[in-house]
Amino acid sequence: MSDRLKVQLTEALLIPVLAVLSGLALASIFVLLTDVPPLRAYVELYKGGFSCAELTRCNLFQSLQLATPLLLTGLSAVVAFRSGMFNIGQEGQFLIGATMAAWLGFAIHLPPVIHPAFVIAASMLAAGIYGWIPGVLKVRLGVNEVITTIIMNNIANLFMTYIVNFPLRADTGTTAHSPLIDETARLPVFFQGSKWGVGFILALLAALLVYLYLWRSTPGYEQRMAGQAPLFARYGGIRSDSAAIRGMFISGALAGMAGAIEILGVHRRLLQGFSTGLGFDGLLVAILGRAHPLGVVLVAILFAGVRLGAQIGLQTSVHIPRELGGGIIALIILFVAAENFYRGWINRVKEGVKRLAARKA
Amino acid sequence: MEGFTDALTFDLIRSGMRLATPILLAALAGALSNRAGVLNFALEGKMLLGAFLGILAAFWFQNSYLGALAAMLAGAMLGAIFAFVYLRYQVDLIILAIALNLFVAEMTVFFLRTMIGDVGSWSDPSIRQLPDFEIPVIHNLPFLGPILSGYNAIVYFAWFAALALYVILFHTRFGRHVRAVGENQDAAESLGINVARVKFFALVLGGALAALGGAFLSVGHLTLFTRGMSNGRGFIGLTAALFGFNHPIGALFASLLFGGADALAVRLQNVTKIPPSLIQFLPNVLAIVALVLVALRIRGSEALARRRFRQRARQQLARERANS
Repeated sequence: MSDRLKVQLTEALLIPVLAVLSGLALASIFVLLTDVPPLRAYVELYKGGFSCAELTRCNLFQSLQLATPLLLTGLSAVVAFRSGMFNIGQEGQFLIGATMAAWLGFAIHLPPVIHPAFVIAASMLAAGIYGWIPGVLKVRLGVNEVITTIIMNNIANLFMTYIVNFPLRADTGTTAHSPLIDETARLPVFFQGSKWGVGFILALLAALLVYLYLWRSTPGYEQRMAGQAPLFARYGGIRSDSAAIRGMFISGALAGMAGAIEILGVHRRLLQGFSTGLGFDGLLVAILGRAHPLGVVLVAILFAGVRLGAQIGLQTSVHIPRELGGGIIALIILFVAAENFYRGWINRVKEGVKRLAARKA
Repeated sequence: MEGFTDALTFDLIRSGMRLATPILLAALAGALSNRAGVLNFALEGKMLLGAFLGILAAFWFQNSYLGALAAMLAGAMLGAIFAFVYLRYQVDLIILAIALNLFVAEMTVFFLRTMIGDVGSWSDPSIRQLPDFEIPVIHNLPFLGPILSGYNAIVYFAWFAALALYVILFHTRFGRHVRAVGENQDAAESLGINVARVKFFALVLGGALAALGGAFLSVGHLTLFTRGMSNGRGFIGLTAALFGFNHPIGALFASLLFGGADALAVRLQNVTKIPPSLIQFLPNVLAIVALVLVALRIRGSEALARRRFRQRARQQLARERANS
């Protein structure tokens, strides 16, 4: 292993770990306000998110289920990042995909296997187009994609609310919801009693495909170059504009896949206020995962566990509001983004070690 | 009947003016930071913090003006923290803003739950809404009077801030420095302008303005705080700033347009049977259209400049040929 690679690898691992620790340390100030010792709170957080008592009551499985949409929206953000775009529209694209899946799940009838495959493909197409729009606006007109995707999140949210209240409303129950999807369209779960299922495998597969696309294929290479150095890419004969737009389409499609899997594998129908809580989490996963599929897989599970642990561990067991989980995630992101903060004293420590070694020799 | 519709129209305009206020304050903050070369997505979080601390302070001091003031101070402080982290550690602006927005959104609810024990919203009967008052002379003007007068102090302050910001940006030394930094940071630096200091002040001032916009929501427009109260207004404000070409007066008109669209949406919700989720499309689609129009305009003026440059070059070439 070359020295440079070694340095890169240690930084890639060390900085997120340090960020997680600093985030937890800073968050303990807020824990102290609640009369629960921070260490106890974090133990509860861990138990709530990652422990596994028995197969039927396993928090870890639930975390893995919750990690599925995070993983896919995280990948979505990675593909956009790598084409030089900030796609903040995962929530909107997720909702478009979910709405499509909820509709096709009961509106058409197909044999098992084929039905979910078709529904997922259609959802990905719809959400891909929804991601393509801000891509085109950015590349062709220079409209800031962060703002357009945020506004398009609102629009998708309103659209979903309308769809679930009017055209697809199943009955006049208290919460508006669409009819249940067909048995044939459902994605199976691994264990009775948990909703962790095939969707997770599909998400892992998607992570592998994203890796192969970005680092082992020509269009992926073009896209990365377009993201890193658009002028250089154009000089080398890459049409960086269309590469960036393609990146936004794929990014949207991945977020749409997350929406479809949530419907087919977990909820089986569209409910009012369905995606609340997803927000920008996909993007945050991509940032902490250093915009790499492997990092995204790990961080998605970590985030899902923190969110679940905040709910079961903190809120239910020791009565700390579960919003602390989101607060911790925000702090971790802050510390990761401020990597220069660590770089300074990582270097200082390194120099110190070198000096010690020199003195010994 | 005619008088009745007139009253309704005035009502609509007035409610548009009110709803435009938080957007305007965020837009001014956005315009100022854009002019200083900082795309400020954290406005949303600063606004939410202002709404939360504004009402808490109004309750604490039993005075809503002090509440608004406390919100401004808190916004300025958050702006300072944002600026410090951004300038000191070169953190990516968008990532920093998203983390900050998430932090404020989650922790306001955290405090709501731990300190007050409420889940989604909070209010107290002792909190007084900021009172509306008339402006002496303007109030008596025939048509404009009812439109321009009879609001609370934050509304007037927002208009004043638009004018003041115009003067600051275009007629003071500090404003010239801000614009220089935004247009070409390196050139500004080489001329001895302290880029970091300019950005810092732009972000602190912007934080105070955005937070005041938040306080307008919690103690000016209503007297309660609900989770996620800013509800995207920070982003709409940023859009309004871009739509007004980062000019304070342009931002004023853009905000009035968005506020008007909001008011119209509320009105349509009350008088028609169109589902609210469809009506709410209006302000959002308007925002996208506005962004596209701005982009087309910028692109158009660039193309025009290019054409003019070519023409001039051609003329010069012809002249040189004729001379030789």
